[in-house]
Formats: sequence, structure tokens, C-alpha cells
Amino acid sequence: MDCNSLGDCSDARIVRIYEYLDGALTLADLKEVKAHLDHCPECTEQYDLECIIRSVVRRSCQEHAPEQLKANIITRISQIRIESGH
Amino acid sequence: MFWRLPGRSSPRPACLNPSRDRRGNKVWTPFVEPSVTTIEDISTVAGAGGAVQGTQRPGRTLPGNSAQRVDSRAMTNESVDANLPDAGAESEAQRRERFERDALVYVDQLYSAALRMARNPSDAEDLVQEAYTKAYSAFHQYKPGTNLKAWLYRILTNTYINLYRKRQREPLRTSTDTVEDWQMAQAMEHSPTGLRSAEVEALDHLPDSDVKAALQSIGEDFRLAVYFVDVEGFSYKEASEILGAPIGTVMSRLHRGRKQLRELLADYAAERGIQAAAKPAAKVDGGTK
Repeated sequence: MDCNSLGDCSDARIVRIYEYLDGALTLADLKEVKAHLDHCPECTEQYDLECIIRSVVRRSCQEHAPEQLKANIITRISQIRIESGH
Repeated sequence: MFWRLPGRSSPRPACLNPSRDRRGNKVWTPFVEPSVTTIEDISTVAGAGGAVQGTQRPGRTLPGNSAQRVDSRAMTNESVDANLPDAGAESEAQRRERFERDALVYVDQLYSAALRMARNPSDAEDLVQEAYTKAYSAFHQYKPGTNLKAWLYRILTNTYINLYRKRQREPLRTSTDTVEDWQMAQAMEHSPTGLRSAEVEALDHLPDSDVKAALQSIGEDFRLAVYFVDVEGFSYKEASEILGAPIGTVMSRLHRGRKQLRELLADYAAERGIQAAAKPAAKVDGGTK
């Protein structure tokens, strides 16, 4: 596979890289993309960039819930009576 | 190792090694076949709080009748099944204990997701509390052995839609997005990343506040798709069930959301990169004196 087989369109290339990273390709496609990445610097650059973006976004969304929230939840659910099925 | 590609000229960033972050989330694993994790039962809580009644599964309510239980779990692993609690036979105290043990461990993650939905931390807390209350009320419908985290996220998302989105009623950006997308695709064709290496470096070191601001400024539907797939590591199918949207819709939101996010982050990184280059000595001394 070369980039041209993706319709000479950077958009299609990026979608392919997204799907690759998302684990959304079949094994055959996966191998094809992997082989392509080995010798296409442009796609590799996109790939690396996408990885950095994901790791940065993930790192930034690691908030901890306030302790009080957990306590409130436990209090709330202890006040709920469920009609159990028997 | 399989994910180390042979013959590459530059090393992969550390983020490429399949691993788990500090909360135990899967950090993506590119070389596996498409995820087969199922949350087929998630649709039974489609209304989460509204439509949760009346979907009692066959064979669940007869204590000790394990022969009948099997058919409703035909898709799950039999050996695991034997150890799963029978929700119908539990006392209320047992159920509460199981809920607190199994479901409350996700409170940080639900809170993070709620912060992507609500306008401020206080609303996010209310949202999480409300979602847990609903989840507990519907916990007898959660099928042990299926994806509890996805089930909770589904309830959180529904709670958000029912409680908050109606109130806010923000018009979704539609026609302008299409134009932006088109321009973005054009721009990328000429300059694949739009980033110089100093800026890539700046991107990697962007403060969390910048990243959150960027995430917060993309459309809500896009943001949630990106959050569930890129941050939480759900498959397209799981994200589609959590968000209550078809897989194709989720993929399109994801794609557009990622592109918008990429542009915004590149802007922030460019700003930071230029600042850093202008004042190279400024960053060293920090808090050491």
C-alpha cells in the first residue's frame, strides 16, 4: 500500500491512522498499515503526532472526585429502598 | 515485541507501548484485532431512570434456578458465569455492598467524564451523584459479568441529557463546521502536521489547563466521542452504545472532533513554543529558589 492507494488524500490517510490506533481494522488491514508506516515518513509523522495528542489529552483528564462526593453518594444510595424481586 | 516496528529511523514515543494508566484504563493497543468486548445489555437501561423498568430478563428472578439462568447468558463465558452473583437472590444489604464495591471504584472516572459534560465542577458533582443514584436503583438490571463501567457511563450520559442538556439547549454548530472541516482538510494536505519540532515539544508539554480548554471548546457531541474513545479507550461500538448514537455517527463525530482538537492544540502549542523560544531561561528556575 502506498499513500496514493488511499486516493491521494491526506484526510483518508489520517482516518486510516485513526482506525489503526483505535483497533478498528481487520488483521489484514492492520498489517498493511503497519507495513506502510515502516517506510512512509509522512504517515509516521501523523501517527506519532496523533499518539502525542492522545496521551496529552488523556493526561489532562485525570481528575479526582472530591471525597465529599463519594460520601454523598453512599449516603444517597443508603436511603434508597429497592423493591427486590422476592 | 510486536508493536516495536522494525527498521524505523526514529524511536516511537513512549506513549505507544500498550500499557495502563494510573487508573487502570487501557491505553490503546493498535495491533490487536478489533475489540470484541460486548456490552450487549447496555441497551436495557436505555432510559436510565425512565425506561429502566419493565425490562426484567427471563430467568433472573428465581433464586437457585441456575438452569434457567444459563439461557440469558448464553453469550458469556460459562466458567465465569458460575462465580457471578445472582442479582435476583441478593438481599438489599448484599446488593448495596456489591454496588459500593464494584461500582463506586469508577467515581473518579465518572467525575472526569461529567466535567466534560457539565459547565462547572459543582454541576459535575450533581451529575455524578444523580447518575449513581439511578444506577443503584437499576442495579438489579445490570448483568454481572458485562461491562459495568460502560453501563455506568451510559447512565451518566442519559442523566446528563435529561437533566442538563434540555436546560442549556445550545444550538449545535452545523453548517459552519462543514466549512471549517473542508478548509482544515485542505490545509493539512499541504502541510501534514502544521507543527515544527519545537512546537511538537511544546504540545507534549502543554499545561493541562490548555488541553482542557481546547477540549471544552469543540462541539459537545464531538467532545464526548473523543473523550470516550481516546481517553477512556472504549471501542466504537461501546461508545455508540454509551452515547446512544449509531456507530457511523460516532465515528464521524470522533473524526471531526479529533481534527478540531488537533488544530486547537496546535495553536496553543505554537503560542507556547514561541514563548519558550523567546524566553529560554525563564523556565529553568521555576520553584527551586
